[in-house]
Order: sequence, then structure tokens, then C-alpha cells
Amino acid sequence: MWESTVDGRVLHFHLAGINNQNFIMRDEETGTWWQQVSGKAINGPLKGRQLKPVFHDEISFAIWKREAIQGRVLKPDEKIVTKNEYAPADWEAHVGKMRVVDGSDVDQRLTPRTLVAGITVAGKSKAYPLSALQKQSPIIDVIGSTAIILVLGDDHRSVRAFERTMDGRRLEFLQKTEQGTSAPLQLVDVETNSTWDFAGRAIAGPLAGSELKKVFVLEDYWFDWRNYHPGTSIYSLGPQ
Amino acid sequence: MSNVFARLSDFVNARRKVVWLTVLVLVVAVLVIVLTPVFLIMPFKAQTPRVLAVSYQMRRWSPLLTLAAAAVVLFLAIGLWVGGRWFSRIALAILLIPTLAATWLARQNHFEWMFNPLPSPAYVKAADASFVNDDDRVLAVKIGSESVAYPVRIMAYHHLVGDTVGGTPIVATY
Repeated sequence: MWESTVDGRVLHFHLAGINNQNFIMRDEETGTWWQQVSGKAINGPLKGRQLKPVFHDEISFAIWKREAIQGRVLKPDEKIVTKNEYAPADWEAHVGKMRVVDGSDVDQRLTPRTLVAGITVAGKSKAYPLSALQKQSPIIDVIGSTAIILVLGDDHRSVRAFERTMDGRRLEFLQKTEQGTSAPLQLVDVETNSTWDFAGRAIAGPLAGSELKKVFVLEDYWFDWRNYHPGTSIYSLGPQ
Repeated sequence: MSNVFARLSDFVNARRKVVWLTVLVLVVAVLVIVLTPVFLIMPFKAQTPRVLAVSYQMRRWSPLLTLAAAAVVLFLAIGLWVGGRWFSRIALAILLIPTLAATWLARQNHFEWMFNPLPSPAYVKAADASFVNDDDRVLAVKIGSESVAYPVRIMAYHHLVGDTVGGTPIVATY
């Protein structure tokens, strides 16, 4: 998700093609081609420019609604609904089985369609297989010199990440709610015993009112993540 | 006007072979410049930066070049038609059809035929969004005090939607 303004001018984008299964957008104003996943101009007058990222989450509707009941939701286009061309509810399983283009399985540490939560902090990238998070959440980690935490939501599918340094102190977290319950997820930090919610806010305890800094998570297939983050490392669970 | 046609016909008939060759070369060129990017940029094919750069240039220049080429082809075809026999007239008609089709295609965005854009997106309040299931995934953004959810099942079709959230113009992409 990107800001549309470049040099004070608002650009209007169209779907214009595909580059190794990641789409290209073209802006009406200059005709420049932009890569969707990176926000980078790859051809045309603005080549080399970078769109400014807009922080966002990919979460389940139930979790979003709980947090943003005053919000608005994009409505489907009736014409497309009638033609039945929107993705079905189980489309993720279909896409997961689709083939990838030749040459995109060069890095065989994971299979190409493995779903990963990708994180980049201070130029260092790391991929967390969704299956690892589904086995162990939260994941406490350090990327470069940044201490982070990845959390799986109570829908067992949505992933969020935060920096876990608060007032110069690194916090360690444990899950407070039991896995598999439908109660809103809560975490507790070992250092102050404060309670935190899935939005990264301390809701009880000494740190109540504090908020962890959000870290952008790109949920992607391994082959695509690897393509745009060639130096990425992969998180693996320790011996169980 | 008839004087113009007579002179065109004289000009063409003095060098019919060269004119035929020119028409053929132009028709092939028009087809190449329009169809090459269509074949290079296909969903399950690998693309290199070079392939994308070539496709970009072809897409960029094809509206202008196809129009110019089609005009010349049409002009010469009239000359060939006037002094031509029935079989060359049929050949001319067969050559004109793909030329005009390609000139039209150079002005189209066939990706938006496959995935129709959403130029005036509509929104509903969170509580009224009965078209989204609780476990459907959404792209969620909050800027200032404004929160918006873009259901992934809708985004996986349109791929991009322009919006202004909290006063900031954005493009939501998936």
C-alpha cells in the first residue's frame, strides 16, 4: 500500500502488466511503470523513484472490526459479483497450489509457495514461515540490533510484529490467553507483568497506556519474498 | 479530390512492387510492436528487466507509431486499390483488418479487461459489511483517526484501489 503523491502530484494508477507473478502498475500522469510489491518505478520517466509506503496490516475481518468499528469497508462491485469473478472464500488454498514461473525456485530453503511473514528492519530482512508462528507464538527475536516480537492473532492466522524495546529496556513476552480459545489475544511482559493486546497496547499493569512500535509485516509467498529480498534469512524454530 | 486519387494512383502504379513491399513491412511492424509486449508479459512466464524495458518502450510508442503506420498503409492501399485487380484488392482488405485491429489494441489495456478496475469505489460502515465473513482477510489501514478495510477477496481481483484516508491519497494494492 502506497502513498499516491510524487513530487506534489497525485498519481492515478492502473493495472498494467505482470513481472514474475507480481503485478506492474502504470500511472496515468507520467506513464511510468511501478512494481506493486516494492513501490519502485522500474520503467519510464520516474524510473528509480520510490513510492512512500503506507503502514497497514493483513488481518482477519473479525479482528479489524473489533478494533475499528467506526471504520469503513470497501464494497464489492455488483457487476463483478454478478459475473462471480471475485475470489471464493477458499481461494487461498487454490493459489497455494498454483505453479510458479521457471527460475523462481532457486532458493530451495523453503518450497516456493510457503507462506511467510516477511520483516525488514534497518535493511535486514527475515522470513518467518506462518507454520512456525502457528506452532509457537509469540516469537521473540532480534533482527540486526532491533529486538522484535511477532504475534499470531486469536484467529490463528493474522500476524503482527512490534519492536519490543520500551524506555531502553527489552521486554520478553508470553501469551496470557490460551491458544485455541476465541477470547481476544493478550500478552504479558515478563519484566513488568503488564498486559498487552494484539494491537500492541498495554491495557493493564505498570506500563498501561504504552504502545509498542509497529513493524510492517509483508505476508507473501517465499519465492516472491526471496525475489525482492535476496539477502533474507529464515527463522526456524529451535528443537521442540 | 479525384485529381488527388489520380495522382496517387499514378505514383503507386509506377512502383507497385516497392509500394506492396512497404505496405507488408508496415503491417508486420504494427503487429510486432503491439503483440510482442502481450506475449512477453504473460502471467506464468518469467520476465527479465530487459524484457520489461523492451515491453515498456513498445507499449509507450505503439499508440503513436501504429496510428502513423496505419495512415500510411491506408493511403498506399487506396493507390493500390485503384489500379489493382480483384486478388490484390482481397489481399489489401486482409492486410488492413489486422493493421486497424492492432492500432486499436495499442490504445487498450487488456489487463483491465481481465481485471476490471474500480474507478469509483464505494464503502460501507464496518457494521454493515455483511459481504465479508469474519475469517476473511482484509488489508487494514489507519491514518489519523480514519480506518479502512479492503477485503482481500475483492483486492485479489481488482489488485489496486485508489483512496484518500485521513487526508492522504493512497493506492491500496494486493
